[in-house]
Amino acid sequence: MNSSLLAWIILIPFISSFVLGALYLYSISIKKINDTIFTFLAILAPITSFLIGVAFFLSLKNGATDYMYEPYTWLGVNGYIISMGFLGDKLSIFMVLFVTFIGSTIHVYAAGYMKGDEGYGKFFSYFNLFMASMLLLVLANSPIIMFIGWEGVGLCSYLLIGFYFTEPLNVVAGNKAFIVNRVGDLGFIIGLVIMFFYVGKLGFDYYALEDYISLVPTSILTIIGIALFVGAMGKSAQIPLYVWLPDAMAGPTPVSALIHAATMVTAGVYMVARFHFLYDLIPHVGEFMAYIGAFSALFAAIIAMRQTDIKKILAYSTISQLGYMFIAVGLGAYSTGLFHVFTHAFFKALLFMGAGAVIIAVGHEQNIFKMGGLRKKLPLVYSVMLIATLAISGIPPFSGFFSKDEILLKAYRHHEYLIYGIGLFTAALTAYYMFRLFFVTFHGKNYKQKEMHYLSWSMKAPLLVLAFGATVAGFVGLPEVFSQTNLIDEWLKAYSGGALHVEHTTEIMFMGISVVVGLAGIVVAYVKYFKYDFNKEIQESGIVYNKFYIDEVYHFIFVRGIQKLSRFISVDVDDGVIDKAVMSLCGGFINMGRRIGRMQCANTRVYAFFMLLGISSFSLYLILKLG
Amino acid sequence: MIDTIFLILSLFALAGAIGMITLSNTMHSALSFLVTVFAIAGLYALLNASFLFMVQIIIYAGAIIALLLFIVMFLNIKEDKLKEPNRYNIMLVVAIILAPVDYLLFQAFLKMPHIGDFSTTLDNFGDVKMLGNELFKGWLVPFEAISVLLLVALIGSIVLARKKERE
Amino acid sequence: MIEASFISYISLAILLFSIGIMGLISRKNIFIIYMSIELMLNAINIIFVTLSKYFGSMDGQIIAMMVMAIAASEAAIFLSLIVAMYRLKHSVNIDDFNTLKQKDTL
Repeated sequence: MNSSLLAWIILIPFISSFVLGALYLYSISIKKINDTIFTFLAILAPITSFLIGVAFFLSLKNGATDYMYEPYTWLGVNGYIISMGFLGDKLSIFMVLFVTFIGSTIHVYAAGYMKGDEGYGKFFSYFNLFMASMLLLVLANSPIIMFIGWEGVGLCSYLLIGFYFTEPLNVVAGNKAFIVNRVGDLGFIIGLVIMFFYVGKLGFDYYALEDYISLVPTSILTIIGIALFVGAMGKSAQIPLYVWLPDAMAGPTPVSALIHAATMVTAGVYMVARFHFLYDLIPHVGEFMAYIGAFSALFAAIIAMRQTDIKKILAYSTISQLGYMFIAVGLGAYSTGLFHVFTHAFFKALLFMGAGAVIIAVGHEQNIFKMGGLRKKLPLVYSVMLIATLAISGIPPFSGFFSKDEILLKAYRHHEYLIYGIGLFTAALTAYYMFRLFFVTFHGKNYKQKEMHYLSWSMKAPLLVLAFGATVAGFVGLPEVFSQTNLIDEWLKAYSGGALHVEHTTEIMFMGISVVVGLAGIVVAYVKYFKYDFNKEIQESGIVYNKFYIDEVYHFIFVRGIQKLSRFISVDVDDGVIDKAVMSLCGGFINMGRRIGRMQCANTRVYAFFMLLGISSFSLYLILKLG
Repeated sequence: MIDTIFLILSLFALAGAIGMITLSNTMHSALSFLVTVFAIAGLYALLNASFLFMVQIIIYAGAIIALLLFIVMFLNIKEDKLKEPNRYNIMLVVAIILAPVDYLLFQAFLKMPHIGDFSTTLDNFGDVKMLGNELFKGWLVPFEAISVLLLVALIGSIVLARKKERE
Repeated sequence: MIEASFISYISLAILLFSIGIMGLISRKNIFIIYMSIELMLNAINIIFVTLSKYFGSMDGQIIAMMVMAIAASEAAIFLSLIVAMYRLKHSVNIDDFNTLKQKDTL
């Protein structure tokens, strides 16, 4: 199989994005183009990429070695060579597979969701650019190339979150996402630069780094590890850089689905897994990551319990689930973390699409307490949402159960009992808040009747596909007790961090605990919200509803601080010092010019006098010189 | 004999020049300049330039000064408008500044290569025939250029002095 | 000893030229400025004619003649300019013609 096809996985969505953008410009400025053309072009790209990804997958499965494609040298300065290279190994192809698959379904869904929107073509242009950036990030063969995709993803998220830019709040949300991501990116690039400084001369692709990373002293490695993790914090929305993700809900719902499920937030987890050779050497940083993940998971879950916006609840659940992933990768169980990425992609995409369908159906209402009783109106959405909610709550046999359970088991086996406890507690909270959302949205009594909007099949079909995925995705990583082969661990053997053998009885016991905890959450939610009375006016308030005032604290510390600093620089430093210096210099020249200008008195006699003076002094010089 | 004539002529020339720049009445200073012009014409004669002697009298005395006097009378300038109280001070300053220039020129001419005796020359040197030969053999193109220049000046002066129609 | 030697002609020319410059700079009357310029031209002409005799060549005299021709055309232009300027400002004071003076507008 030709390794140059790796580049086409990225190029196809990129070209598609470019063509869509050009067509969109043509459409708005010259002649209207039918939306069908946009739809066709947009959906074709991720599906093609997916098919190429499948081909690579099958080839790798049949024992082919890693594919490496380096079309040209991008930078070559005095022995430091960065080539534009793509690496198709088991990890990246695994990522490509589900990114393009989930991406394709979201594309189909978006075609229905965005129908009739003014920026239809623009939307898909950004969408495909987003896909291309994510695929570049995944398929890059060196951290530098990865960084291009990393930045591209950040840019596209900005463009898409602020898609309805006429609304000032959306613009603020887009800016917030961009700026917070920039903070993370700074960490990432600092890590890269330090790494490049130490081992760049020996080659900077992943193979070379893997071979030579041990030459770097451990203290430096720790700094690199933390700096890279700061990048991951920004992209994957961990404490303390998670604040952009809930605000990112300002974008259209397919964007949320794409950001949360297939692209962007998984980039941090992928990056850590990609640098497993680095993090294997510094387990203390990994432990730090695991704790950050655990606290993010708990914190986001607590906030999610009191939110009323359907999309915000899902956003906080994403942060929570990403916390689980970081627990896994932090403890060296990269394949487990990626397994959770994989299952999460399915059920989170499904949740967002379901939420989007609900929002469309009730006419762009996002407050769950203003919905209610949608079970009869939207039976299909009801059933797929049930599947997704069960999956995220960790109820077997849905996909979330297996991955989450494996993470908790790994945490326990690494003797991180605190993390295990937090994870378990968070699992209960997750089940609670997800079913709270579910019951309030679809059940309850005394809800107000609403006019339902029609849902097109292009929105329903992806739901079914993903519902199937959310149901069965867990079976690729069956734990030992059910099956001898864990397909995910098998496929990502290099990233599994060593198999942990657990007694079967213990394992079943742990599963039992997880299920019981999950069910407990569901029961509590059932009692409180199944027969929720919509006549009661509820007013959510309190510290949890207000997200612990983190946004306000950040605003106070960072935004205000920077504003004050900016004002100081603009008023005192710029106006007071620099401008004054420049202007007084300028004024000095003007005054001098005005004085010299007096000589230009339009009096010819004075000019003649000056001329005479010149001649005279020159003569004097000659007399003195020649004697 | 020649020395005496030279002395008298140069005294007239200098006196006329000084009178020209000092007298406040334009008419008087123009007449004073006329004296200088005639004295210089005499000096040309002493320098064996008989043709130039005639040309000097005809063009300067006959044409330029006459035209100047005509214009002065035509415009009828009131002297009280042209008070120049500090002109002698300025002249003094200029004279002091000019001293090095003059000294340098004087030195330069003193050190010129000495070719022959200045007083003895060819008999027919400087007569009209010799000048005409030289002028139309070696200097034909400049001569024609000068004639074109004169034509241009003629037209130009008409254009400049003409009254505008709309005035 | 003053005699009609080469250097005495030159000295006279230099003196006349200097007087011309003095008149040019010190006077405001545009006619006198014009006459000063003519005086300077005449002084130069004396030098040309003197050198012509000194080197025994006619070129000096011819150049002097050219200078006179140019002086004549200059006279025509200059005097008509004076007429035009007088019409404009009703003045022959050179200091009145200061349209190009730098204004303190900046």
